[in-house]
Amino acid sequence: MIATLKRLFDRPMPSEDAAAALIALAGVSRNFDDGAIVALKAVDLAIDAGECVAILGPSGSGKSSIVNLLSGIDLPTCGRVLWNGRPVASRRAWARLRRNDIGIVFQEFHLLPTLTARENVEMALMGRGILAEERRERAEGALARVGLAHRIKHLPHALSGGERQRVAIARAIVNAPRLLLADEPTGNLDSANAEAVADLLFNLQRDTGMTVVLVTHDEHLAARCRRCVRIRDGEIADDRVPAAAALPPIAETEPAVTDAEAPVAAAIAAPSEPAPAIAEATAVIARTGYPIPEAAR
Amino acid sequence: MNLTGLALRNLRRRPIRTALSILGIALAVGGALALLALSRSIQDATRDGMDEMGDDLAVTQKEAPDIFAGFLPGDTEARVAKVAGVMRAAGEMFMFAPSEKNRQVLTVGWLETSFLWAKIPLREGRVPNAGERKVVVVGDATADALAKKIGDQIEIFGDAFTVVGISKYKAIINRGTVMMPLADLQELSYRPNQVSMVHVNVARDASTAEIARIRRDIEALGGVMVSTSSESLDNDRNFKILNAVSLGISIIALAMGVIYVLNSLVMATQERTREIGIVAAIGWSDTRIMTSIVIEGLVMCAIGCAFGVLLSFFAAFAFPLIPTIGDMISFQPSLRLMAATIGAAFLLCAIGALYPAWRAISMMPAEALRRA
Repeated sequence: MIATLKRLFDRPMPSEDAAAALIALAGVSRNFDDGAIVALKAVDLAIDAGECVAILGPSGSGKSSIVNLLSGIDLPTCGRVLWNGRPVASRRAWARLRRNDIGIVFQEFHLLPTLTARENVEMALMGRGILAEERRERAEGALARVGLAHRIKHLPHALSGGERQRVAIARAIVNAPRLLLADEPTGNLDSANAEAVADLLFNLQRDTGMTVVLVTHDEHLAARCRRCVRIRDGEIADDRVPAAAALPPIAETEPAVTDAEAPVAAAIAAPSEPAPAIAEATAVIARTGYPIPEAAR
Repeated sequence: MNLTGLALRNLRRRPIRTALSILGIALAVGGALALLALSRSIQDATRDGMDEMGDDLAVTQKEAPDIFAGFLPGDTEARVAKVAGVMRAAGEMFMFAPSEKNRQVLTVGWLETSFLWAKIPLREGRVPNAGERKVVVVGDATADALAKKIGDQIEIFGDAFTVVGISKYKAIINRGTVMMPLADLQELSYRPNQVSMVHVNVARDASTAEIARIRRDIEALGGVMVSTSSESLDNDRNFKILNAVSLGISIIALAMGVIYVLNSLVMATQERTREIGIVAAIGWSDTRIMTSIVIEGLVMCAIGCAFGVLLSFFAAFAFPLIPTIGDMISFQPSLRLMAATIGAAFLLCAIGALYPAWRAISMMPAEALRRA
């Protein structure tokens, strides 16, 4: 009761950014063990539609707590989570969002061991009033999209780590979510599989334009995101385009560059370009609100 | 794939535990059905026996707790016969008496003038002659069980009686009955000039109001109670105790079966905390998660009930082999009884499964995933 009242009175008003964002944390804190452990301290974070955001931080910094709160699989101790500017309060509302608009990929894959790859993907379609035949088709389509059309009848234990994670990605995208949350998606994979899974995620983001939030402690992976949020001790320590974004893009996985971003990309791709290009890029950054990358300064 | 398919797959993951839970339900349902059928069979057999005797009304001692415990003066038959509207009346004494091969036989005694003698459907032999003593007519079931034929001696209460006739009643309880002159049974039971009840026939065309009036008039004689065969059985203390004990044991059996299912589901949900977290994380509603768990419980219950019904049939058909009560049981499957027992099992299983289902959803998905 006291905790509920505290939660009600502790709700801060959302900022304009939060109100306009696809999803936002407004003054969100998350404590465990009756406050003995503080995972997040009054975090404000707004994520716009179409963004690709990396949440970077060391173990125990609170980055996974952010994903949990952004997906509603955990609730904040105080503060609010906003979806399209509106607070999401109930478990039912969160379940609906996860069913329709939010896909989650976990480090441990979290596949159901008794179900085949296709059935695991189908699970995300159950309870949506979709006929069995259509569920099957859509699940197979999602698996084909992640390159597993030939593994649909395999149980998780018969798949490699990379394949399991791709099944998990297929499950997360089968509902065409607007927001894809990936919590250390490459954390349990060897470097080759990690690269392949990362490529897959970035390609999906590029092709569909869905919002992607990627939790990682891998600087290289974070560098491939447009925006990097650094978490330290439960607080946002930094929120900007990382310097590593200047790394040469991988040909296969290079995100589609919008007109507005083209000068930035050009500047990043050719840091030795003369000043006018940087100046133009800086102007675009100022217009779009993106933080200026170190490499472009 | 649907929720039922998912439930079946989950149950197959732990076959031994599932099989044991199903066996628990089967034993519970089978035991409950068999017990209820047992008490019902005895009551039905007794009712059939009384109906076969053609009674319209039965007169017994007022406030007697059961039909075996009440006694009436020997002249009650004559007093009842004089009541207007009564076509005929016949006094009867009955009791279970020890016989050969450790069998207890239902023994009845009638006056030599009783119309009941004339109503005996004889397979062979005859009824006792006027004034004849130490003779009996034996029901065919008892005759067969004790291998008696006309002219043989049969021991009742340690005394030897000559078998002069073998009856062929239809009701199972009458097929085991031994009939002898009333005076012999009164002597054997040290109850001279007493009867247990008086059978009454009224006119075939008697209206309900007329029968009610006859009942009142007979009861006005004092110290007696008048009832139909059904009423007398329904008010019988022995049958009440039998029914209550059967019902009580059946409820306990069902509760134990449900506890098997509950235990199985609690363990399953604890083991699958992570999986419940996963389906919650991909958007399954609390209702859907609960439904999937309850369906698991109901699937176990359905299979257990099916086996339970089979078990109860085996048990019920074995009841007549029980020496002391076998002659009194005629098992007939009752859809109503099965439906009630299975319905109760399903209801209890569904309620029982709600607890683990509630436990499963009471945890936030993130917490469930962490507990893996």
